[in-house]
Amino acid sequence: MTVQEGNNDTNELGIDKSFLAAPIKSAVDKFQLLPEFLKVRGLVKQHLDSFNYFVSTEIKKIVFANEWIRSKVDERVYLRYSDVRIGEPSMIIDGVTEKLTPHKCRLSDTTYAAPIFVNIEYRGQSQSTETLKKKDVIIGRMPIMLRSKTCVLYKKDEEELASLGECPLDPGGYFIIKGTEKVILIQEQLSKNRIIIDIDKKGCVQASVTSSTAMTKSKTVIKMEKEKIYLYLNQFKSKVPIMVVMKAMGMESDQEVVQMIGRDPRYSALLLPSIEECAKANVYTQQQALDYLEKQVKQLPYPSAPVEKRALSILADIFIANIPVRQQNFRSKCIYVAVMLRRMMEALLNKDAMDDKDYVGNKRLELSGQMLSLLFEDLFKTMNDEVRKTIDAILDKPSRSSRFDISQYIVKDSITVGLERSLSTGNWDVKRFRMHRKGMTQVVARLSYIGTLGHMTKISPQFEKSRKVSGPRALQPSQWGMLCPCDTPEGEACGLVKNLALMTHVTTDEEEGPIVSLCYCLGVEDLELLSGEELHMPNSFLIILNGLILGKHRKPQRFANAMRKLRRAGKIGEFVSIYVNETQRCVYIASDGGRVCRPLVIADKGVSRIKEHHMKELKDGVRNFDSFLREGLIEYLDVNEENNALIALYESEATPETTHIEIEPLTILGVCAGLIPFPHHNQSPRNTYQCAMGKQAMGNIAYNELCRMDTLIYLLVYPQRPLLTTKTIELVGYDKLGAGQNATVAVMSYSGYDIEDAIVMNKSSLDRGFGRCIVMKKMSAISQKYENGTSDRIIRPQRQGYDAERMQILDDDGLAAPGEIIRPHDIYINKESPKVIRGPVTSPAGLSDSDYKPSKQTYKGPEGETAVVDRVALCSDKNNNLCIKYMIRHTRRPEVGDKFSSRHGQKGVCGTIVQQEDFPFSERGICPDLIMNPHGFPSRMTVGKMIELLGSKAGVSSGRFHYGSAFGEPSGHADTVEAISETLVNHGFSYNGKDFLYSGITGMPLQAYIYMGPIYYQKLKHMVLDKMHARGSGPRVMITRQPTEGRSRNGGLRVGEMERDCLIAYGASMLIYERLMISSDPFEVQVCRKCGLLGYYNYKLKKGICSTCKNGDNISTMKLPYACKLLIQELQSMNIVPRLKLTAA
Amino acid sequence: MDGVSYQRFPRVKIRELKDDFAKFELRDTDASIANALRRVMIAEVPTVAIDLVEIEVNSSVLNDEFIAHRLGLIPLTSGRAMSMRFSRDCDACDGDGQCDYCSVEFHLRAKCINDQTLDVTSKDLISADPSVVPVDFSDSSGFDNSENRGIIIVKLRRGQELHLRAIARKGIGKDHAKWSPAATVTFMYEPDIYINEEMMERLSLEQKRSIVDSSPTRVFDVDEKTGQFVVVDAEAYTYDDEVLKKCESMNLPGLIEIRPKEDSFIFTVETTGAVKASQLVLNAIDILKQKLDAVRLSDDTVEADDQFGELGAHMRGG
Repeated sequence: MTVQEGNNDTNELGIDKSFLAAPIKSAVDKFQLLPEFLKVRGLVKQHLDSFNYFVSTEIKKIVFANEWIRSKVDERVYLRYSDVRIGEPSMIIDGVTEKLTPHKCRLSDTTYAAPIFVNIEYRGQSQSTETLKKKDVIIGRMPIMLRSKTCVLYKKDEEELASLGECPLDPGGYFIIKGTEKVILIQEQLSKNRIIIDIDKKGCVQASVTSSTAMTKSKTVIKMEKEKIYLYLNQFKSKVPIMVVMKAMGMESDQEVVQMIGRDPRYSALLLPSIEECAKANVYTQQQALDYLEKQVKQLPYPSAPVEKRALSILADIFIANIPVRQQNFRSKCIYVAVMLRRMMEALLNKDAMDDKDYVGNKRLELSGQMLSLLFEDLFKTMNDEVRKTIDAILDKPSRSSRFDISQYIVKDSITVGLERSLSTGNWDVKRFRMHRKGMTQVVARLSYIGTLGHMTKISPQFEKSRKVSGPRALQPSQWGMLCPCDTPEGEACGLVKNLALMTHVTTDEEEGPIVSLCYCLGVEDLELLSGEELHMPNSFLIILNGLILGKHRKPQRFANAMRKLRRAGKIGEFVSIYVNETQRCVYIASDGGRVCRPLVIADKGVSRIKEHHMKELKDGVRNFDSFLREGLIEYLDVNEENNALIALYESEATPETTHIEIEPLTILGVCAGLIPFPHHNQSPRNTYQCAMGKQAMGNIAYNELCRMDTLIYLLVYPQRPLLTTKTIELVGYDKLGAGQNATVAVMSYSGYDIEDAIVMNKSSLDRGFGRCIVMKKMSAISQKYENGTSDRIIRPQRQGYDAERMQILDDDGLAAPGEIIRPHDIYINKESPKVIRGPVTSPAGLSDSDYKPSKQTYKGPEGETAVVDRVALCSDKNNNLCIKYMIRHTRRPEVGDKFSSRHGQKGVCGTIVQQEDFPFSERGICPDLIMNPHGFPSRMTVGKMIELLGSKAGVSSGRFHYGSAFGEPSGHADTVEAISETLVNHGFSYNGKDFLYSGITGMPLQAYIYMGPIYYQKLKHMVLDKMHARGSGPRVMITRQPTEGRSRNGGLRVGEMERDCLIAYGASMLIYERLMISSDPFEVQVCRKCGLLGYYNYKLKKGICSTCKNGDNISTMKLPYACKLLIQELQSMNIVPRLKLTAA
Repeated sequence: MDGVSYQRFPRVKIRELKDDFAKFELRDTDASIANALRRVMIAEVPTVAIDLVEIEVNSSVLNDEFIAHRLGLIPLTSGRAMSMRFSRDCDACDGDGQCDYCSVEFHLRAKCINDQTLDVTSKDLISADPSVVPVDFSDSSGFDNSENRGIIIVKLRRGQELHLRAIARKGIGKDHAKWSPAATVTFMYEPDIYINEEMMERLSLEQKRSIVDSSPTRVFDVDEKTGQFVVVDAEAYTYDDEVLKKCESMNLPGLIEIRPKEDSFIFTVETTGAVKASQLVLNAIDILKQKLDAVRLSDDTVEADDQFGELGAHMRGG
C-alpha cells in the first residue's frame, strides 16, 4: 500500500510508473515448508498412504464386489459379507488374544498382522427363511505396515515409541513377516488405460493401450503395416483389419469413420488403403464384419460360452476394456478407436507426436497397497470359491447329520498363509491376470540408517535388467524434482532402479464420479451428443479423464483454469491433475493412483502467494503444511501438469509469465544424495558412487539397535554428526543417527603406502577410537520336539574331562552366558538329541541318558579372534519349539586393508598405520588423523570434498556447524567459499585452507603448504578380517578330490584359465604340472596298454589287473588328475569308451 | 676420530609454565634434537594407564570392551611412573601385573537406584594407591567446578549397575596412545623478520595497513600515533607467506623478509594431566639420555666405531 501511495507523488518526478507499480519482489524464505512437509508426510508417506487407502477403502470395494456366496445346488443358501474392517494387530495364542507390537514380532519371529473382521448375513438351512447375522468373523490375518493407520505405532510420540521398543526415527512403511522386516518395493510401470504411440521392432507405428479394469486386463495394439492398419489382440488368431473392427462395432459408413478421424485429407489418404482392403474382403455390414471376425477368434480348448457371439463379446469386454460398453452401445468405443487412429496418423505425419515411453508422465508407480489389494482380491475370491465348493459338496449329500451352518465353512488360513507367503518370498502369483512376478519384496537393509531410508524410496524397474538399451537408463528431464538424478546403482541396473526425490508424493486412486459430473457442469459437451464431424472441430478440445473420453469443450483454457481453481479451493482432490495438451488438442484430467507429483508454490503473475506473514504464522505454529494447501498457496503438480506451468527456481527469477515457484531446489535430490555436502560442485558420477556407498557405511542403525536381533549388525563405537551438514541431513535425522566420523585429513603424499587411493592412518587416532566398530552376528539354535513325543534337551556342562575346556563359557543351564569371551570351537549350547526320533519310544518312563546323542553347537569364527557373547534370547517359535538366539559381538579397530570413504564417492583402503610422532604436525599442535593422496583429486574432480574440508575447518574453529546443501548458495543453505575463507582468516588460518606443517620424522618444515582440515569419513562394511584367506593343504571336494572352493569352506586359490595361459605362454610346464596336478588331485591309475581302459590294483597279487582283459600282463601305472579318471568313467557309463593310448616316454 | 667437536650447548628459556602447559624456547641446537625431544615426549615418556579390566557386573548400555576402552583412556597421575617397572620385566610378579612395583589396582562400583540418570565418572574409580588416581582437572583451572565431576565413563539408568576391577600398568605412548602423557607437543622455528625500513618509510599509511591486514594472524601493526610499521608478535607468524605475497603484489619485493632461525625453537607442551608439563620435559630429556646411553655403553668397542663412525666419536664427547 505504501508503494501505491508513493506512486501518485512520484509521477511528476518522471519516474517510470509501471516500474513502481510492479509488485515488490521480496524473497520469502520458504525453506521452513520443507520440514513442515516432512513432518506431515514423513519420508515414506507414499507407502503409508497407499496401504492406508487399501485398508480403509480398497479392501471394502473388493469385499463388496464379491459379497455373495451362493450355493449352486440350493439357490436359497447364501452368505453375504456386509462389512469388513481390519482390527488391531494381535495374535491368538492358546485361545487368548494377545496384542502385538512390532518389536515383539521381530524378536519372536512372528508376523505383525491384524485380523480381518467381516460382518456376515447368511441363510444356513435351506428350509428356514430367516437370515442370520454374525459380527466380527475373522477371515484371515492381514500383515500390517508399520506406522500405518492400523499399526499400534500410529501417531505415537517419541516416548510412547520408546516404551514399545521402537526407534522414533524409524520411518515405518515395511512389514514384519516371520520376524524379518520386508518392504514391498515401489514398482514402476507404463501407465494403464492410456494411448501410447510408438514404433515397434520392425519400425511400424503403433498405438497401444494396456487396459486394466477390475474385471479384465488386456492389451490392444493398432498397428500400421504396409500402409494398412490392423488390430492386434490376443483373442484373435491373427491381425484384423481395423475397418472390419469398426464395421463390427456398427460404423458401417466409411464416411463416418473418416469424419471421426478428422476431415484433413492427409488422414483420409492414410486411411484409404485400409478401407479398400475392407471392401476387398467383402465386408460392408456389421453382420459381415462380425462373421469375418468370428473366423479369427481363437478357439479355446474347452469352449464354454456359446460359440456364435464370441466376436461381439470380445469387442465389448476385452477390446480396449477400459471403455465400458453399456447396452451394446459401441459409440464411445468407436470414438476411442478413432482418436487412437488419429493420433497414430499424426505421429506418421509428424514424428514429434510420438510418445516417449521413458517420459515420467507416462509412468505409474505401483505401491504396497495396490500390490496387496491384487493379492488379497485373488485370495478372497479363491476362498469364496472354496467355500462354495464345500457347501455344494455338503448340500449334495442326501443325509446330513448335524445342522448345516454356512458360516462354519469360512476358512481363515488361506488368506493368512497366502499373504504371508507372498510377502516373505516376494513372489506375486495371480492366476486370474496371469501375473507371475518375482522379487517384489526385499528384506529391509539395516546396514545403516540411510540405507534403510534409501531402501524405502527405491523404485524397481518394469523391464528385466539385462536389456542393453540406453533409453530407459538415461536421465529424463521430466524426472526433475520427482526422482533423484543421482541415486541409482552402478552396473546392470544402472538407470533402471531409481529413487524418489525428497518431496515426491505418489497419488492413490480417487473417485471419478464427482469429477465427471463436475466436468459436465463446467461445459463439457457429452460424447453421446456429438457427431463424428463435431469431434475434431478446430476450436474445441477433447476432455479425457483417466483415459476415458468425456466429451469436448470449446474453451479448454477456461475449463482448465476453472478446474484448477476448484482444486485449489479444495472442492476436488488436491492430487487431481489438469493438463492441457495443445498439440493433441486435449485436456487430460487424471485422478488415478501411482502418478508422481510434488508440491509447488503458486504464483500469480510471477508473485508468490506465500508472503512473509504466512511463514511467520508457520513458525509460530499457527499454520501447517495442510493449511497452506487448503488456502491455495501451494499445490501438487504431477509430471504432466508441470508442462502447463512455468516454474521459477527462485522468487527473484520470476517473470510475469511464471505460474509456480519451487519450494527448495535441494529437494530434487533424494535421501541418499542429500547427505553429500556441495554435491553441485562434484562431478556427477561421484555423487552416484556416494549414494551407493552411503548405504554400506557403518554407524548407528536405530535407537533400538542394541535390542534388535538382526543376523548381522555393524555399529560404529563413536559415531559423529558431520561438521559440514546439509539441510537434508537435519531433515532425515542423519545428525542423530550418523554413520561416520570427522577425521582431520591432510592432503599430501606420505610413505608410498598411499598410492591408488590408499589412506595412511594415525595409530594414536585409532587407539583413541577412530573407526572402531562393533560387529554383531546372530546365531540361533532350536530345541526340537519330535513326532514321537521326545525332544532335544539342554544339559548341564561337564566340568571335567573331555570337552570341559570347550565348555568353559557355559552356565549351569547349558547355555553360554552373556559377557563370556567365546573362541572358535567353543561350545555354546550343550544340547543332546534323542537317538530315536521316529516310531514308538522304547522306555515308557522316559529316556535315559544313553538314549541321547550329543548335538552340541560350536562356535565357528575366524581363528585367533575372540568374540563376546552379547545377548541370549529365548523364545518359542511357530511350532512351539524352544528357540535360542545368541548375539555374538566383536569389537574391531581399523587395520590395514579396511575400507573407508568420504562422502564424495572417494573410497580407499587403509594402506598403512603410522605412529603419531611420525605424522606431520602444525605449529598449533594439530596432527592429522589420516593422510590422503592428492592424486585423488584431479581425475575425480570432487571439488565438493575440498569445500567440505574448508567448511569443516571453519566449522571447528568457529564452533558453528556449516552447511553445504545442494544448490544452497543463493538461498543461504550452503556457505560460500568466500564466507568460509573469511571465517578461517578470522581464526588465524590461511584463507585457502592450507597449513604450514613440519615433518614428524625429521622435524623440518615440509616443502609445501598442506591442505588440511576435517572431512567426514565413513567406515564401510568391507573389512579385511572378513575377507582375508589363505590355505596350504585343506579340505577337498568329495567327488573330484580337488580342493574346495571359497573362503567359507577354507578353499584353495584357483589357478584359473588365464593364469594357466600365462604359464603356458611362459613355458613353465613344471609349474603348471605342479599346480594343476600334484597340488590338486593326483591319482594313480592302472592302464591296460592293450585295451587302453583303466584297471585296478590288486593288493594281494601286488600288481595291476585289467578288468576287461582279465589279466595283469599289459598294465602300466600312471598318474592322472582324479577329475580325469572320473570323466573317463562317467563317459563309460554313458556308453562312450575313451581309450588311453600309451607310448613309452 | 680426533676431528672437530660438534658439541653444542643448547639453552632453554622458559616462557610460561603451568601444571599442564609449558612454553619454552630451545636455542642453539638443531631440528633433530628438537624433534627427538618432541617425539620422546609423545611416545616414550611412561605413564600409568588402565590396561586390564575385569568386569563383574555390567548392565549398562555400553558393552564391556567399550567401557574398558574408555577406562584405558582416562589419564592417571603418573608421577610415580618413572620409577615403576614395566609389568613385562617385573620379576616380583612374573609379569602378571599383580604387584605394587608394576601395577595399581582400581575398583569401580556404581548402581543407579533412582530415576535420575547417574553419571559414572573417573571420580568413581577407587585407587589402591593414593599416588595414582584419575587426573583431577577441577583445581588447576580457576573455574567454579561444582559441576565438574571428572571424565564420564558411562551413564546409568534406574536399575543398571557397573562393578569392575581394573589394573593400571606402566606403559609408553608407542604401545598405545593411552600411555602418552602429551596432549600437544609441538614446536616452531622462531621467525626472523627483517623489514626494509627504508622502503617502508616510503609507503603510505594505507599501504602499510593493507600489508598488516594481509596476514591471517596478527604479526604486524601500524602504530596509531607515529604511523610506524612494527612487528607486534613475530611468533604469531605461521609461515603462510601471505605478507610476502602481498609485498610482491604491491611491487615491493624485499620489503619484508622472514626466515626461520635454524637453531631456535619455540616449544609448546600440553599434557593430559598425567604428569606435570615441566616434569614431562625433564622425563623426556632423561629418557633421551638413557637411549643415548644404550648407544654409548658400547662406545669403546671397535665394532661400535665401525658401526657409528663419526657419531661414536661425537658421543664420546670428542
